[in-house]
Amino acid sequence: MPIRYRRRMALPTAICVVDLFLAAFVLGLLALGLRRPFIWLLTYLYIDIVAPQKISYFLLASIPVSLIAFAAAFMGWLAIDPKQDSRFTFRQALIAMLLAYCGYTTLVADFPVEAAEKWSWVWKALVFAIFLPLALRTRLRLEACTLFMVLSAASIIITGGIKTALGGGGYGELRLLVNDNTGLYESSIISCVAVASIPLILWLARHGTVFPRDWRVTVFAAALCFACLLIPVGTEARTGLLCIGVLATLALRTAKRRFLYAGLMAAAALATIPFLPESYTARMNTIENHKTDESASTRLAVWKWTWDYAQRHPFGGGFDAYRGNKIRYEIDMPETAGSSTEVDSVYIVDESRAYHSSYFELLGEQGWPGIILWLWLQLLGLWQMERIRRRWKDRTGEGEQWQAPLATALQQAQAIYLVGSLFVGIAYQPFIYMLIGLQCGLWSYLKRIDAPKPARVRREIKPLQVPAA
Amino acid sequence: MIDYFAIALTHFLLALAAWRLMARDDLDADPVSPADGPADGDLRG
Repeated sequence: MPIRYRRRMALPTAICVVDLFLAAFVLGLLALGLRRPFIWLLTYLYIDIVAPQKISYFLLASIPVSLIAFAAAFMGWLAIDPKQDSRFTFRQALIAMLLAYCGYTTLVADFPVEAAEKWSWVWKALVFAIFLPLALRTRLRLEACTLFMVLSAASIIITGGIKTALGGGGYGELRLLVNDNTGLYESSIISCVAVASIPLILWLARHGTVFPRDWRVTVFAAALCFACLLIPVGTEARTGLLCIGVLATLALRTAKRRFLYAGLMAAAALATIPFLPESYTARMNTIENHKTDESASTRLAVWKWTWDYAQRHPFGGGFDAYRGNKIRYEIDMPETAGSSTEVDSVYIVDESRAYHSSYFELLGEQGWPGIILWLWLQLLGLWQMERIRRRWKDRTGEGEQWQAPLATALQQAQAIYLVGSLFVGIAYQPFIYMLIGLQCGLWSYLKRIDAPKPARVRREIKPLQVPAA
Repeated sequence: MIDYFAIALTHFLLALAAWRLMARDDLDADPVSPADGPADGDLRG
């Protein structure tokens, strides 16, 4: 169990109000689901992202709300939803295989207790990703899922964005609703997810129908995107800066006036630097000089250990196999005396260091079969979104304008995640599997509505041959 | 205070979205099938 830290609050009344509010909100959503069972699925998305049970002190904290919402969503779909439009895609099969393989490695894990604990939330994320596309049968459902994912993540992003803007950031210091360093509340993870959300926010602002495009939607979307960009600044997570770079590069591809856009981006970046906190620029400078940075040197040492481990254990060591590592690495310690600077090499010995990379996380925990399945799942997603984009981008008909931009947004979000994953261990992050579920749903939906129409059977009437008498 | 503002704003929008979805028939079935569009290729993965 992750250690939970209680939040300090000034007024007990405020605690009660927040608790009652969150409980009423969840109950309200569950009640709406009685009329529209799809709302239960959205409730699960919300609970899995925001984790209101962590914000709550007594009401929601004492109930397994996540399990209740998941059971309601699944049973609602199973019992009430029509199934004729649901399709099982190849990528869902890949997730099912990854799930089964993770289950197997958990049984034979190097650290069975820790592996079982990680399995307890990973299986839910994977099962939900398999289930989600089956329910995404309409355009509005795709939009509703995207909207709930974005607005749920926004509750963490807005608070982080405002605190950063008011100067409350710092590495490991930005407090996001709860003092809990798990799930989306971990600084590197929220940095990556916040930047990956930007393409989805922009899609919703342009093509949304629940909140149709108007000035209020545009202002909110712009402010939320700004908050997303502030999160990597506030958390001082270097991964976030990298993700922003990926986003800027990817956006160039679809921008209409590329040179103007590139110029504006460069000007904005230069104009921002003086406003960044000194601690932030100091930390970002360590990106290029990793030998003086312990965190970066640890990563390289752990990755080398994992590579060697995978040669000895090609089928993986199960969840949390990194706990068995003992690493020794060298860092440079510059010492300045007067005008001269001497660099001393210091050896540091460390153990049980986490992977700090989704790729090595997969390789160490699930071995080659696991990483091959995962890479297949991810690369196929990029390729499928590209197929949709190319197929729909030149269409001008009514109701044919939203598909290519959504595919592009999902592709960009995934690409940002894949680059961020190089330096953060988020291989099983539920938010990303929801994104994959959305991709599968979009692929399946468009494949169904855009399928070739069955050819009409032509009946040729042949003249009756009358035999000559 | 910032936490309360963020929670209140996003939860209000989530609630409004859920409420609006309740009134939409196209949540459970697309009103007009876009299958009338071009239908000359396949999308297989």
